[in-house]
Amino acid sequence: MTLKLFGAKTSTCTRRVAVVCKELNIPYELIPIDLPSGQHKSEEYRQKQPFGQVPVIDDNGFILFESRAICRYLVRKYGKDSDLIPADLEKEALFEQASSIEQHNFDPYAYGIATEKVFKLRRGLKGNDELAANLQETLVGKMKGYEAILENQKYLAGDTVTLADLFHLPYGTLITDGLHLDVLTATPHVSRWWKDISSRASWQAVKDGA
Amino acid sequence: MVLKLHGALYSTCTQRVLLVCKELNLPYEFVNVNIQVGEQKDPAYMKNQPFGQVPFIDDDGFILFESRAIARYLVQKHGSPLIPVGDLKKLALFEQAASIEQADFDPYAYGYALEKIFKPAMGLQPNDAFAEQLKGTLEKKLQGYEAILGKQKYLAGEEVTLADLFHLPYGALITNALKFTGLTDSPNIARWWKDITARSSWQAVGNGA
Repeated sequence: MTLKLFGAKTSTCTRRVAVVCKELNIPYELIPIDLPSGQHKSEEYRQKQPFGQVPVIDDNGFILFESRAICRYLVRKYGKDSDLIPADLEKEALFEQASSIEQHNFDPYAYGIATEKVFKLRRGLKGNDELAANLQETLVGKMKGYEAILENQKYLAGDTVTLADLFHLPYGTLITDGLHLDVLTATPHVSRWWKDISSRASWQAVKDGA
Repeated sequence: MVLKLHGALYSTCTQRVLLVCKELNLPYEFVNVNIQVGEQKDPAYMKNQPFGQVPFIDDDGFILFESRAIARYLVQKHGSPLIPVGDLKKLALFEQAASIEQADFDPYAYGYALEKIFKPAMGLQPNDAFAEQLKGTLEKKLQGYEAILGKQKYLAGEEVTLADLFHLPYGALITNALKFTGLTDSPNIARWWKDITARSSWQAVGNGA
C-alpha cells in the first residue's frame, strides 16, 4: 500500500517529508488537510496527531507524526544504504550533533521569523516586526557557528549530505526566497552549502508543493 | 581514558548529559567551564564548540557537542533501552517523542526561562509580555502531552526513553524556580512527571552533581 502523507502541499513540515521521499524514491499519496479551515485542529484529526499539526504518515497502518521523526523512519526503513543517517558510531554521533544544531540553533529562529512575517498575516493577525528583527539578529549570530563548521567540511555532519542538512530546506527557503533575507547567503561557506543543498533535484521537485 | 565532560554544574544542558551518565553508571571527569566570566565564548573554547555553548564531551579525543547528541552517543556506545534500537517501529515512536520534546516543549520552556531567569541573572531587561506568551503556548502544547500520556506510560510507549529524560532540566527549572504548574496540574502529565523526576539519576543531578 502506498505511503499516505497527510499534510498541505505548501506546508514547510509536509515538504520536509516530501523531499526525503524524493531522495529515496518513495512513492507517496498526499492527502490534503485543509489548514485555512482548521481541519488539523478537528477532534477527528487530533486522534492521529494530538498537537493538531501537519504532517502525519500512515505507512500501512503505522501512524507517525513529527516531520523529522518521519524522515528518520523512512531512511531506516527504505534508505539504509543512503548514508542520510550514517551507520558508524562516531559518524552517527556527528549526524545527531548536526541534527540538534538544526533544531536548536536554526529552527526556532527561522520558524519564529516565518510566524511573524508570514503565518500570522495569513491568519489575519498582526506580526511583531521587532520580534522578527530580534530573531533575525540571533540567527545571523548563529551563522558564525555554521560558518566555522562548514569551513572545514562540506556538510554539517561531515563530507556527505545527511538528513541534518536537508531538514533546513523548508524554512531556509522560506526566509531566503520568500522573505529575501540574506542570512544563508551573506557568508562564503554557509552560502556555498546552502546553494548546494537547495539545488538538489529532490528539493527542486517539491519546493513549490509536496 | 575516562570521558571528559566540559560544562557548568547548574547549566540545564550540562545536567542533561550528567543524568544520562548516571543512568548508564558511566565514570566521567567534570571539567568546569566558567560561564560566569564567559569562558564558553573564548576562542580556545569555541574551537571545540563553535556556538560558544556548554556542554561538550571529549571521549578519548572524540569531541561532540549538543547535549541530546551526546546523550544519544553515550547510550548507543554503551547499550541501553533508553533508545529502542532493535525495533523499527519502537525506534520511530522514540524519534517522534524526541521530536515532540525539541519542537513542542523546549523552545517554550527555554524561552520562558530565558526571559524570567537567565536575562535577569545577566542584568538584562526581560520581555515579560513575551514570557507570558511563551508560557501560554507551552500550556497549550501540554494538552497534547495529556492526550498521549492518557494512553501510555511514557512519551514513546510503555518504557522510559531518552525522550522523557530530556524534559527534566528545563521542566524542573521552570517548575521549581518559576512555579510553573503545567507539569503538575493535569493528571496524566503529573503522573509521568512525578515518575521521571523520582529517578535516582535525576535526584543525583538535579541539585548540582
